[in-house]
Amino acid sequence: MSQSELSEEDLLQRAGRGDSRAFDQLYDRMAPRLFGLLRQMLHDEREAEDILQDGFVQLWERASTFEAERSKAFTWAVMLFRHKAIDRMRMLGRRNRLVESAVLEQTILGASSHASADDEVQANERGVVVREALNELPKEQRQLIEFAFLKGLTHHVIAESMGIPLGTVKTNIRRGLLRLRDLLKGGA
Amino acid sequence: MMDQERFEELAAMNALGMLENDEKRALDGAVARDKELRTLTTELEQTTAELAYLIVPVEPPANMKKRIRAKMRATGVKGAGVSRGVVIGGIGWALAASFAVASVWLWREQAGLTQQLAAASRAMAPVNNPATPVVDDGKTRTLEEELKKRRDEFEAQKQALMTKIESLHKQETDASAQIAKLTAEVAALKEQEQQSQLQIATLQSKVWEYRRSEMLVVWDQKRSQGVVVLDKMPKVESDQDYQLWVVDPNKPDPVSAGVVTVDAKGSVKTSFKPVESVTGEAKFALSVEKKGGVPKSEGQLLMVGP
Repeated sequence: MSQSELSEEDLLQRAGRGDSRAFDQLYDRMAPRLFGLLRQMLHDEREAEDILQDGFVQLWERASTFEAERSKAFTWAVMLFRHKAIDRMRMLGRRNRLVESAVLEQTILGASSHASADDEVQANERGVVVREALNELPKEQRQLIEFAFLKGLTHHVIAESMGIPLGTVKTNIRRGLLRLRDLLKGGA
Repeated sequence: MMDQERFEELAAMNALGMLENDEKRALDGAVARDKELRTLTTELEQTTAELAYLIVPVEPPANMKKRIRAKMRATGVKGAGVSRGVVIGGIGWALAASFAVASVWLWREQAGLTQQLAAASRAMAPVNNPATPVVDDGKTRTLEEELKKRRDEFEAQKQALMTKIESLHKQETDASAQIAKLTAEVAALKEQEQQSQLQIATLQSKVWEYRRSEMLVVWDQKRSQGVVVLDKMPKVESDQDYQLWVVDPNKPDPVSAGVVTVDAKGSVKTSFKPVESVTGEAKFALSVEKKGGVPKSEGQLLMVGP
């Protein structure tokens, strides 16, 4: 089987065994979406590049710990990169304030000024499933989850930024994520 | 609020990275004790991570792969470039070892055949001194006929053994040449591996005027010297120079590595050696200083890295 036919899980496991070609292939497949995520979280091209660079070094180091039966390679990588981005925001003191440009309207997942944005998401089969599941949630839960996912802010800052009581933020996040989990598992 | 709801809330907010430090510690403590909560926490983290499927992809800079590999080398991570050298080196050693074993086997094989040949020659001796007629399949042959027959057989056997020895000699010669070639290859790979431990650092600037500028440093820690490559650097005033600094964590101030003069296109490639030896893990910086350079940096550090 050629490298291009391998799943991301296979590639990540091969990278864990020191296969640098598998690592290259994994980079080609995952880097654009991860870079898109980091740019949205950090609102700074240079910071996003730094985290992408550091994140892939760490991915190479930790690839041997990946267990395909426990998670998808992509979600495993997203968790790693997102944690790094949040750590960087914490270091920069950004987690406790909203960056001026990070307005709510700009934090809708899958939306972009690029005309091809919808096509990009549509081309990604799992993206369609996630979008459908997300659309099943009440609007206030969906908006909160999308905002929190992309901003990496604490619940206090989110409550303040969105003008919502803290308790409501917590409740909506809890209910929304539990429901989303069930929907993505195929539940009603 | 019930404990279960509270921890579900913490697990959900944890998945989105929303927790304050004290809340995170509380959740981690509970997760360590409660298997169900641990499962829930993992599931919600994975659910959250799936949202990234909705992110619109953005192509990273074209040089990002190179930057990742440079970072791996700079931080001593067994990266692709390094590991390949190690792997090939390992194969080289394995092949060399295999040929060494093969050579010993060939030598023993040859020794065995030589012994067989000697034994065959000895076996001819009694036939050269016949005492009785030979009976073969009920037919009595003359002694002379029998002698000739045996001599022919032994001659044929001897010829076959000589041919085999010659072939083994050739194989041994080829194996020796192969060992020599592999030994040279192993030496070259070891050299390459040695070189791959050189630190390569790319520096970039957060200063707007230098956003397109590029700086690469190849640093030899053992020799405390390096090569710097600059490109797309803006011109400096006529009474100013770029000056390179090596930041040694064991020293209070950056150590000057000399003035760097760029050409009309803002490019230069030059070697440098800091004025003092650098013992710690080096970082590099570039600043604009008075013409001719200064012993201690006075200007703004324009580029720092890695």
